[in-house]
Amino acid sequence: MHDFRSLRFLALFRGLFTKFGIDFDAMQKILQVKLTMDERRVPTIFQGNNKKKEGNHFLKSLWVYGLYGLILIPFILLGENYIFQMGIVFAMVMFIVMTSMISDFSSVLLDIRDKNILDTKPISGRTLSAAKMMHVGIYMTYVTGAFAVLPLIISVFKHGPLFGLTFLAGLLFTMLFIVVLTALLYLFVLRFFDGERLKDIINYVQILLSVGVIVGYQVFIRSFEFIDLDVVYSFAWWHFAIPPLWFGALFEVVLHQNYSTYMIGFALLAVIVPIISIYCYARLMPAFERNLEKLLSDTRKRKKKWNGLDELWAKVICRGNEERIFFRFAALMMKQEREFKLKVYPGLGMGLVFPFIFIFNELRDKTITEVSLGKSFLFIYFCNLLIPTIIHMLQFSGNYKGGWIFKAAPIQQLSSIYSGTLKAFLVKLYVPVFLLLSIAFTWTFGVRIIPDLFAILLVGIVQSLITYKLINNETFPFSRSFEFAQSTGGAKIIISSLLIGVFVIAHLLLGAVKFGLYVYIAILFVAVVVGWRVVFPKRRTTVKW
Amino acid sequence: MKGEKILSLQNLTMNYGIKNVLTGIDLDVFQGQIIGYIGPNGAGKSTTVKIMLGLIDGYGGKVEVFGQDIASGDPSYKRRIGYVPENAEAYDNLTASEYLIFTGELYGMDRALAEEKAIKLLHEFDLGEVIHARLSSFSKGMKQKVLIISSLLHDPDLLFLDEPLSGLDANSMMIIQEILSQLAAQGKTIFYSSHIMDLVEKISNRIVLLVNGKVVADGSFEELQERSKEGSLAQIFNQLTGFTEHKNIAERFVTIVQEGNGNA
Repeated sequence: MHDFRSLRFLALFRGLFTKFGIDFDAMQKILQVKLTMDERRVPTIFQGNNKKKEGNHFLKSLWVYGLYGLILIPFILLGENYIFQMGIVFAMVMFIVMTSMISDFSSVLLDIRDKNILDTKPISGRTLSAAKMMHVGIYMTYVTGAFAVLPLIISVFKHGPLFGLTFLAGLLFTMLFIVVLTALLYLFVLRFFDGERLKDIINYVQILLSVGVIVGYQVFIRSFEFIDLDVVYSFAWWHFAIPPLWFGALFEVVLHQNYSTYMIGFALLAVIVPIISIYCYARLMPAFERNLEKLLSDTRKRKKKWNGLDELWAKVICRGNEERIFFRFAALMMKQEREFKLKVYPGLGMGLVFPFIFIFNELRDKTITEVSLGKSFLFIYFCNLLIPTIIHMLQFSGNYKGGWIFKAAPIQQLSSIYSGTLKAFLVKLYVPVFLLLSIAFTWTFGVRIIPDLFAILLVGIVQSLITYKLINNETFPFSRSFEFAQSTGGAKIIISSLLIGVFVIAHLLLGAVKFGLYVYIAILFVAVVVGWRVVFPKRRTTVKW
Repeated sequence: MKGEKILSLQNLTMNYGIKNVLTGIDLDVFQGQIIGYIGPNGAGKSTTVKIMLGLIDGYGGKVEVFGQDIASGDPSYKRRIGYVPENAEAYDNLTASEYLIFTGELYGMDRALAEEKAIKLLHEFDLGEVIHARLSSFSKGMKQKVLIISSLLHDPDLLFLDEPLSGLDANSMMIIQEILSQLAAQGKTIFYSSHIMDLVEKISNRIVLLVNGKVVADGSFEELQERSKEGSLAQIFNQLTGFTEHKNIAERFVTIVQEGNGNA
């Protein structure tokens, strides 16, 4: 166990913590243990001591956020229309922080596994939840930092140190705001539900949040008017509900000395709301911990659930009994594994919303009839963004230790494990999203796009196969700890996402030629059939494990 | 009266890096034997079992199960094996019946049969109320029972049990003991590791003691007794593992616990 810089930094605020009734020394010790544990994760259960890589896997994945952060730079360099530019920057920061918070750190907030260890010790509940919060906070600082550090440095050069300071303060408040907001939301949900129902509700809340973030982003953009190349901001009272504007206004007030009432109002909100929410959270923390207990209780008597639809699918699309077993298993896991859902459902929500966002953007300067005659239905390709992230997640499970069964059981055709799981992914997660989108798009664009949609569905399958080969390549499904979900596969996920572009171009090119679309469909169909054989070869069981 | 040779380990070695876990185990197991596999913590008991199941590879030596070398890569031999892992590791988010059907099917059972047998067996273990509840809501003992059912559902000929009784209450323990001896009487072979010496003494007809990755004693309880002139298996265990200090250690331990208590 060693000294953590983050903890030494926290120690500067010892007085503040004490004021909130938190035993700082105890909190520091808990955090030290947690951070040490984070460093000591060993990749899989089967590897024994062969490969022991120490080091924090999460920190190793931060470069991806750094890469994302490059998007912010043009907005900072653009000019001096701060409310617009910085509003966008903060909208993006919030988006990144929020999605990372929801999918990666909710499990930390909602963790009850160490209750037996920590609750039995003479430490107040308040201190425990503060430790939890800080644990999340430290990581969120890293995420925000990695995302914003380059833009921050560049902003100092472009707009001066005062800008940089304002930016830094804004980032700090944004982060606090998002982390606390998420916690408060969970607190609210925990109050009203319990047991398995609660876990389901939490999943829904996460989907809603992800969708909400994206919709919010749209609303934000809409509060500006684009006149020629100039962006003009015109105030309306409902803009008070758009957090990125608060932070954008902060820059207007500090740097442009724009003291109009609403700017000051926004800027005040940017500072006051995070502080108030922290205060609320500090007051409500004990209730939060108490209610967490509910996650464990499940008193309802359960009946056998009807899985007729899965049965039907298993019969129709699976070849051989072994594949069917794994199809059913994977379908159950996707439906019932909380941690898996935590990670995957937000992605599903985004896959569902993304295509619409682009359509709405089109509607900005065209009428709906104009749009419906065009090619913009191809935006449905964006839902394929969910393929790489979710396929990556198929390797992981909160109950990964149960994975011994894959090796202990006499499985003849190992490839049936993988193909069954991938089929379950397509049927249970991909197709429902795609179908919903297709219905909405057919309604908008007319039945003429049905052949195109069919082609896109085939692309989805082809892409799943490629992604699967690229990312998972014969690791048992649901057999690794989520602790490694972050640190592995980042680059491969990006490559696989970029594939979408290749398909879109192919679709556009062939779609321009007469009967080209049908050629495209034929090629894709062959690719699916051949690809499936290549990715999941039938063979005697491999000797090599 | 030895039956068919079920299991054969020849000079089995295993090392993790520089650490030797198993340093040459030779063992033949015959049909109908109940083998108590005992040894101090870290002696390599679980590792041996996991190698035989194919969970760990990279071992040295030869392992034959039902006369087949397991390194051949054909997993069919596993069909006749049942396994209860230590620490009751399972996919907790599945319900008891879902988990049992899944594992039953993996061992080649017909789905309907697996379900029917699973439900009957769950009722016998007093788990009728929770058939469709998730394993995550189960107590340790309940989960252990489900895993025991899971290991027996496909009627295996060879059973590997790693601490099979952990978490079970006294009544359930008696049931399991009785089940094991009845299964052995019908020609099943049972290989189990445990730290509960009374139990090993009572139900095993052969005891294998592993110390530092090596078999140091192998025989029936009576044979071990004769060899070491000690009364109970626990005492034999102490003697064979070269451990005679428990009183001294306990004394020192208590003293340390009480150290520095003056100011508390």
